[in-house]
Amino acid sequence: MIPGNRDTRDGILFSLPFLVVFFFFMVYPLLFGLYISFFKWNILSSPTFIGWKNYVDLFRDAKFYSSLLHTLEFVVITTPILLLLGFAMALVVTGKSPMAGLLETVFFIPYIFSMTVVATLWAWIMQKDFGIINQAILLLGGQRIGWLTDEKYAMWSVCIATFWWTAGFNMVLFTAGIKQIPQEVYESAEIDGANSWQRMTHITIPLVAPTTVLCLILQVIASFNVFGQVYVMTGGGPAGSTRVLIQYIYETGFQYFRMGYSAAMSYVLFVIMLIVSVAQYAVLGKRKEA
Amino acid sequence: MKKRIVFVFVLLLTIGILFAQPAQETSSSDKPVELTFWSLFTGGDGEFFDAMIKEFNESQNEVKMVNSMVKFDDYYTKLTTALAAKTAPDVVVCHQANLLNYVPNGSFLALDQYIDKTTLDDFQQEPLNACRFDGKLYSLPLDVHPIVFYYNKDILKEAGITTLPSSAEDFIKDSQIIKEKTGKWGMLVDNTTGTYKAYTLTRLFFSMMKQEGGSFLTSDNKKANFNNEKGVAALNFLKDTVNTYKINPDQLDYDAAMNQFKLGEGAFYFNGVWATGTLETVKGLNFGAAPLPAFFGKEDWAWAGSHTLAIPTQKNQDPKKVQAAVKFIEWMTAHGELWAKAGHIPTRKSVAAKDSFKALPYRADYVGAAQYAMPSPSTAAWNEIYGTSSDLLEAAVTKNQDTKTALANMEKVVNEIISKY
Amino acid sequence: MRKISSYHRRKTIRTGLLCILDILIILIWLFPLAWLFITSLKLEQDVVSRSFSFWPEHPTWYNYTKAFTSTYILKWLLNSLFVSVLTTILTILVDTPIAYAFAKIRFKGRNVLFWIVMAGMMVPFQVLIVPLYLQFNSYGLINSLVAAVLPRVAFPIGIFIMKQFFQDIPDALEEAAFIDGANRWTIFRKIILPLGKASITTVVILSFINAWNDFLWPLIVINDNIKYTITVGVANFQGTQGTQYSLIMAGAAIASLPQIIFFLIFRKQIIEGIAMSGIKG
Repeated sequence: MIPGNRDTRDGILFSLPFLVVFFFFMVYPLLFGLYISFFKWNILSSPTFIGWKNYVDLFRDAKFYSSLLHTLEFVVITTPILLLLGFAMALVVTGKSPMAGLLETVFFIPYIFSMTVVATLWAWIMQKDFGIINQAILLLGGQRIGWLTDEKYAMWSVCIATFWWTAGFNMVLFTAGIKQIPQEVYESAEIDGANSWQRMTHITIPLVAPTTVLCLILQVIASFNVFGQVYVMTGGGPAGSTRVLIQYIYETGFQYFRMGYSAAMSYVLFVIMLIVSVAQYAVLGKRKEA
Repeated sequence: MKKRIVFVFVLLLTIGILFAQPAQETSSSDKPVELTFWSLFTGGDGEFFDAMIKEFNESQNEVKMVNSMVKFDDYYTKLTTALAAKTAPDVVVCHQANLLNYVPNGSFLALDQYIDKTTLDDFQQEPLNACRFDGKLYSLPLDVHPIVFYYNKDILKEAGITTLPSSAEDFIKDSQIIKEKTGKWGMLVDNTTGTYKAYTLTRLFFSMMKQEGGSFLTSDNKKANFNNEKGVAALNFLKDTVNTYKINPDQLDYDAAMNQFKLGEGAFYFNGVWATGTLETVKGLNFGAAPLPAFFGKEDWAWAGSHTLAIPTQKNQDPKKVQAAVKFIEWMTAHGELWAKAGHIPTRKSVAAKDSFKALPYRADYVGAAQYAMPSPSTAAWNEIYGTSSDLLEAAVTKNQDTKTALANMEKVVNEIISKY
Repeated sequence: MRKISSYHRRKTIRTGLLCILDILIILIWLFPLAWLFITSLKLEQDVVSRSFSFWPEHPTWYNYTKAFTSTYILKWLLNSLFVSVLTTILTILVDTPIAYAFAKIRFKGRNVLFWIVMAGMMVPFQVLIVPLYLQFNSYGLINSLVAAVLPRVAFPIGIFIMKQFFQDIPDALEEAAFIDGANRWTIFRKIILPLGKASITTVVILSFINAWNDFLWPLIVINDNIKYTITVGVANFQGTQGTQYSLIMAGAAIASLPQIIFFLIFRKQIIEGIAMSGIKG
């Protein structure tokens, strides 16, 4: 098709710089982790080979399952809401709102802050005795709510902080997707008598599908990897009810000195994420190319 | 446009390079030996500790200590990783409870040959022996920090209470009177994870077990030992204060407990001695401190931690640096009255005898608690046992679970954990 | 006769209402940041007190002066700048070519390679800490800012984003260039880069933010207080045995300010850049 086709050579050459860095600082340590997952290792002594024992143990570990469940809880809550929020924000920002430009900046700014800053700030806002949300509730005559200390609310509180923090990122991607839809399509629909709701559901949503898929895949991966904001805001509590899998992986490795077991759990999580992402791409990605 | 962005980037990068590289110091043999130290003390504790290091540096010319703070949550991660590559600093602080993770694999230097007998005899023997493994000494304790209780004198006066409670029943009775007469909380024991775990709840449980003549684990540390009447008594007390008598707030986290006491909202506040430094700064808080009483009538034991100073082994151990490190450790422990400003109990008898120490308020009231300080069980499984039991106790208290069921479950979980190590 | 068109009036009312709604949304969305700043201006005893006051009773810069005089905070900011800028530059250098390869070059093993790269996003970082540290130790790079940079250079999200956008650049442009005798490198430089500018800008921003906010790895690999990045240094405002909210908020404000300024200055370019995405016709 292209004269003088040297696709493979070019492909490899262009990929090389990345692959070098990727191999040294990602693949190699990752393979080391896989290797060590078959050992009992406390980091400071020599590892002892134990074969599949770590994996067998983790499949019988109630704490592994509860931690995985909390991670899944987080994924299931945050993914749809963050996609909807991002999309809604993008609609506002690309719409006829007088302050669209300002809104776009405002929605995106939280993303600039580091996880520690966001989590500490929201932990302060939601603090039971002196945080401002409860102060407002008290002023209105209500009772204090343990946003982060009550099992009913803790996970949702962390999710809310996450919405504020990262919705702007999805907004940026959706905005780019929406702007790619040619104006003429909307204009002819308007001429045909479609109102704004119909235009949105029949034009915007279908045509922005590739972006939606992109956002969905990225969001799911990011949510599976959640750790920092939960750790800072609730410490995995109350009573370990928000402990996500990465926290358990971290604690097992660095507080309990069971690095082999920690590595085994990391691999199981990694495989789960891989399967989910490939499945998403296979089911949804194909539709995009059609 | 893009060119301008790139230009600004490069400009910033250049500035960054020029300023980001610190000046290299060359050391000649006339200059003091420079040592590095990683401190896990941040915030208020950190200020006191840094002041001590500054005084150490100013007091002599042979050793200069450079200190880097690492937030407590991440300190051990960083230390362990560095020890794995043998790039740890010259001196480190290590909780006594964590020594077991580092000593058996040779991460710390044995100190016996560097410290003379007079110095060793100056130490309180209990905390010093806790730093010995297989007969060898691997660190020197800087302090002992047990759980004590603080009381609000104004509230007690208002409620007409003249003697401090000394048993579980006393606490319940007094707290009920306080609630009636003043409307304030009787007890402030944190029972929920916030920024920090529910430390006090867990530590009180440990203390009570030992006070009753039992122990959390069997003496060989191989099995749980709390699923019995002693455990029931302890857990019931902790649960009932919150749920039945309502003299202790529910869903109270560590920071909230301290803040409530600071604001004069509670009469009896349970925490480690380190809280003294902070409480002293609160204007208008008229408080006292006392060692933990024997809740169930037998002995006065109290959970205690201990910060110890150790010397990591290096690939090429420089004997000059080791000597300098020993000098530093000896100086720091000998000047424990400075560290006591943060509230901690010093470990050297010479320090306890100093006038400057005796002049510090409150510390004298609980310095005796060092005798009844209860170290953590010596097992590699301890960190996991501690963290997991804390979660389970939290659940039992805040959800008002059935005591016997909760203890039975906790026993099962703890035994499972022990079997993994 | 003057007639006010009712349509016109409806439109004005509508715009007015939208304005009010917009302002409300902006106020709510920005409130946490305002609260961060307000808290940082209070003394701790006013933050944790029986009587709640929204505004500081005696606003003070105390927390800020404390941060600036008793820590290396300025140095930390410069360290972060160095690390972030270097990471971003290197990231663009390695990510862009491979994104182009994935988008436009049909080479053997492309799909497998793509998934291997994507998998890089899924790895829990905790499992990489110890081997990475041992590796950097063997290179003698422990305690250097460069060590904080290198593991962050491979930025799979960047590749993913740029690939999606590069794919939309019409093949026809490339084919025409090939016929004119250009080689892949020229096409990359002269066609892909200019047309893909929007996505590249996006990745620059994301990479910079990511590098600036990195916490755990710089904490582990940098030892000297004076070499800390800002996120690491400011984390130490959290006390060992108690939380001082006002000081922590001040630290957070200082840590985030440079990024905010950067963003506000280049906001127009950033938004324009993203808006320019998409090739029409």
